[in-house]
Amino acid sequence: MNRLNTLRTALLGGFLAIAAGLVAQIDRSKAPEPGPAPIIELGTYDLTKLDNGLTLIVVENRRLPLVSWNLTLDIDPVFEGRKAGYLGLAGSLMSTGTATRSKAEIDESIDFIGARIGTSADGAYASSLSKHTDALLDVFADVILNPAYPQEELEKARKQALSGLQAGMTDPNSISSNLRAKVLFGDKHPYGEVETPASIEAIAREDLVNYHATYFRPNVAYLVVVGDITPEAAREQVEARFGSWEPAAIEDRYQPIPARPEGNQVCFADLPGSVQSVLQLTHVVDLKPGHPDAIAVSVMNSILGGGAFSGRLMQNLREDKAFTYGARSAMSTDPVAGRFTAYANVRNEVTDSAVVEFLYEIERMSTELVDGEDLQTTLNYMTGSFARSLEQPETIARFALNTALYDLTEDYYATYLERLNAVTAEDVQRMALTYLRPNNLYITVVGNRAEVASTLSRFDADGEITYYDAFGAEAKALDAAPEGMTAQTIIDLYYAARGGAEQLDGLKGIRMTGIMEPAPGMSFEVVRETLFGKGTRQAVSMAGNEMMAEVVTPNAGITRSQGQQAPMNGAELADASQDLYAAYLLHLPELGMTATLEGIDGTKASPEVVMTVEGAGGKKELRFDLMTGLLVSERSTREGPMGSVPVTINYSDYQAVKGMQFPMVAEQIAGGQSMTIQYSRIELDPKLDANAFKID
Amino acid sequence: MRNFFLLSASTLAGLVAVHSATAQVDFAEFDLKNGLHVILHEDHSTPIVAVTVMYHVGSKNENPERTGMAHFFEHLLFEGSEHIARGEFDGYVEGAGGVLNANTTQDRTFYYELLPSNQLELGLWLESERMLHARVDGTGIETQREVVKEEKRQRYDNQPYGQMMPTTFDRAYAEHPYRWTPIGSLDHLNAASYEEFMDFYKTFYVPNNAVLSIAGDLDIKATKKLIKAYFEDIPAGTREIPRPTIEEPIRTEELRDTIFGKDALPMIVQAYPVPAQGTDDYYAVEMLNQVLSGGESSRLNRRVVDEEQLALFCGAFNFGLEDPGLTFAYAMASMGVDPGAVEVAMNEEVERMRVELISDLELQKLKNQMEAQLIRSQRSMASIAESLANYHLYFGDANLINTEIERYLAVTPEDIRKAAQTYYAPEQRVTLYFLQAPTAETSKQ
Repeated sequence: MNRLNTLRTALLGGFLAIAAGLVAQIDRSKAPEPGPAPIIELGTYDLTKLDNGLTLIVVENRRLPLVSWNLTLDIDPVFEGRKAGYLGLAGSLMSTGTATRSKAEIDESIDFIGARIGTSADGAYASSLSKHTDALLDVFADVILNPAYPQEELEKARKQALSGLQAGMTDPNSISSNLRAKVLFGDKHPYGEVETPASIEAIAREDLVNYHATYFRPNVAYLVVVGDITPEAAREQVEARFGSWEPAAIEDRYQPIPARPEGNQVCFADLPGSVQSVLQLTHVVDLKPGHPDAIAVSVMNSILGGGAFSGRLMQNLREDKAFTYGARSAMSTDPVAGRFTAYANVRNEVTDSAVVEFLYEIERMSTELVDGEDLQTTLNYMTGSFARSLEQPETIARFALNTALYDLTEDYYATYLERLNAVTAEDVQRMALTYLRPNNLYITVVGNRAEVASTLSRFDADGEITYYDAFGAEAKALDAAPEGMTAQTIIDLYYAARGGAEQLDGLKGIRMTGIMEPAPGMSFEVVRETLFGKGTRQAVSMAGNEMMAEVVTPNAGITRSQGQQAPMNGAELADASQDLYAAYLLHLPELGMTATLEGIDGTKASPEVVMTVEGAGGKKELRFDLMTGLLVSERSTREGPMGSVPVTINYSDYQAVKGMQFPMVAEQIAGGQSMTIQYSRIELDPKLDANAFKID
Repeated sequence: MRNFFLLSASTLAGLVAVHSATAQVDFAEFDLKNGLHVILHEDHSTPIVAVTVMYHVGSKNENPERTGMAHFFEHLLFEGSEHIARGEFDGYVEGAGGVLNANTTQDRTFYYELLPSNQLELGLWLESERMLHARVDGTGIETQREVVKEEKRQRYDNQPYGQMMPTTFDRAYAEHPYRWTPIGSLDHLNAASYEEFMDFYKTFYVPNNAVLSIAGDLDIKATKKLIKAYFEDIPAGTREIPRPTIEEPIRTEELRDTIFGKDALPMIVQAYPVPAQGTDDYYAVEMLNQVLSGGESSRLNRRVVDEEQLALFCGAFNFGLEDPGLTFAYAMASMGVDPGAVEVAMNEEVERMRVELISDLELQKLKNQMEAQLIRSQRSMASIAESLANYHLYFGDANLINTEIERYLAVTPEDIRKAAQTYYAPEQRVTLYFLQAPTAETSKQ
């Protein structure tokens, strides 16, 4: 029988106010002194090994009539590659059918006794009231040893997984987790793997069967039993049910730890409509469990961003600046690659300020010695945490398992508090210098690209933010246009599709009449009249009364609203002058404008060619349907009283009028509002009076 | 100061007395003259102690023009007191090796510290300071207003389906204060004056409206002395405590609505009105939900998720409240599945509960599940302290911690069917679909 030694720590100080004899006079103006400190016995565990290599650890605890069984496989991480996700299914599907039990039977057996069971790629778990142990173990052993992986269950799980991925695409936390995995570890490392619809589709039943046959072997397995059972009784059960489990050799696989970036990198995944940024600052750390630095590192992390509320990040970003509901940091040890992450969800407008504060606090850990009192508070907190964790017998079991898995010394946990309380301020600073990398980290953000991204480029070492999709793959904004395609090609194709450049340019004038109904019961008439080259006028009226109008001539333009008239400024006039042409894209030089072909957007249902045109009137993005050549939308920015507002106009329902094509529907979307003009009549070369375009 | 662990006779893990499957939780209880009710549970398994205070105020006690106050006060009560400066409250607990937190529901606000047992007096000092003269000042109010705004953004506005709770309560209740949820309205919080905050504190944060519940490695006699020293002098509240008596009218026609948001998969939420906790029918409804949703083999999961593969998950849970509450039946439709089809399947299973009796085997399953749940709930001092406080606050009977199980076990198949007929009637429910809003591009096609 092994024993975790009785915990004894050297006492310094410790006030001996014995509570029992206290008089009813208290001094409310200050915190009371603590009573005599209690000692904690860590308790015992029993470790034996079966002939087939299975290691059994038992922690007997009779406080409640519960027993839990926890199987862990000690194996190197497996790289899934193009079938990312099969490990998870190899684990979860173990409990969906065995050689002798269907899923329904397994579910019913477990639920009937009020038990719990779970299976995963690296183990399995079950717990029940002690009186149901036999019934529980019947099922527990069966799913571990004899999973059948029914094809039907794989298909169900595949469908679930695909749905889950779809839901994840609008979940910022899910996206953040994918993003972090990818930027830290890349595509070729087991820790960088992200499930995608394609990878889920590729999984076959053989993958699951082979995985289980290879890795679920007793010689790499630890079974930890905790609760209302003696070591002898536990061993008897385990021998009976797992004694004939066959061992097999398993290859070691070495995984390197990836490099950190040379300078900070900002990595942004767009989730339109977000009101908060899910912000993380993260880098890998070479720190294995049980390393001599591990305890001092955890103290350092606790000061920075651990604890419930006292961490520096919490005090700064929440209590002082109210940027967030919670700001914390985590430093994990791992046999392959540990991770440091500082994180918070902050509202959009303060994302950049939050990054400043995060970097400030991270750097401060290595430039300043922590104050003696703050250090003591942290050590006290961590001491208390350790003690409180002992309320659950599972904690002792975990200590025993860790000791075995990571080759810790026998007295590692017995001496933990001693070593913890020996950590000094110098140690903390040294750990920060050794393990924190405020200049070689990734700043990952999942949030509102339109509102937030531009404020963050200053944090990127080369000033360029990299964009990612929901699965952590780099988001290519646009594909390159095919060889030989130019802006001019697109313009020519567009007017050809409209019925011919000459025909359009040859028009003398146009009148377009339509209706706009922004809300039920509100109906406006919209009329645009143009004498090309001379003047154009658009008026919006209700029941014959003009509400708004704009008039543009080659030299001047005005807007009119409820009778009040205002002149257009240079930029507005330049922009509005496009309407003096039937085919303005053929006259860009006269308008002082240039066109640039940006690329192809293949993410649309129907691919679009993207072009920008730019001039004194501003910059516009034009999108043409790749198949038809017709203009489908244009996007620009309007300056409003509240700042710049993105405006999108979508064109559709092209109809022929005398052999030329015109869009009959124009939908404008700005500031979340949508207004659609439905044209009912297009008249070409109508009789128009030039005086209609006079500007006083 | 350093708080190391010294010799103590009372801490030998692994040798605690054996409890039977129906483990008794012993406790002592008494009232102080100012009306504070105290409950103490002694357990020496681990040298820790959970010091908790439950105030009988929640969002339902709020002025309809000032919703969010109760939850806001939960935040404010960490700002300190006359003797505890801003920012120090957390530090005292963590510096002593403990943790602390709080939570607010529609009916009560709950504060707790988990401390090493030699710091029990610290816990008493902190909670009595809060009750006697908490720091309610402009700076604290301003800071916490911003923090609560961020909490709302993080937990409701930016969270997938974050609007589900507030929206469902809003639709399900026309008159009762349950129509708003604890997070409340930011506009109301912005409009609240300093006087209104003080008024709230003086009305609700008084000893006669509170339960002090402590569980862990303590000595009852000595603790009682200390409690008197710290709490006896706190004056009882003199104001009348507003407790709403509004009875929500029974719905006679199903309310159906669709709410558009950003989340990709449709979520179906149905709310059925259920009786208040502690009433006879409440236990039948709990068991009814257990049949529908308890475990992988439950009715809703087995049919809607497993066999017909209509949903990613599907279940039902009881939002048991002090006044008549709601059962939520919910499902997230799988990709490509029409939410209407999911609802049909859910409704059919509910209908079965109204027509059929469950089998003896199913009844035994329910009892086994309840028994296991009960035992699991006794795993920590914190949950025992909270349970004791709950039972006293709502029912005036802390011993329900030992006897409530009987009320569950007494439920018969007939009771379950009757409960389904009475409360899970289609015309009484609210059915909401949470769908993804069409984007500009998709609507053009």
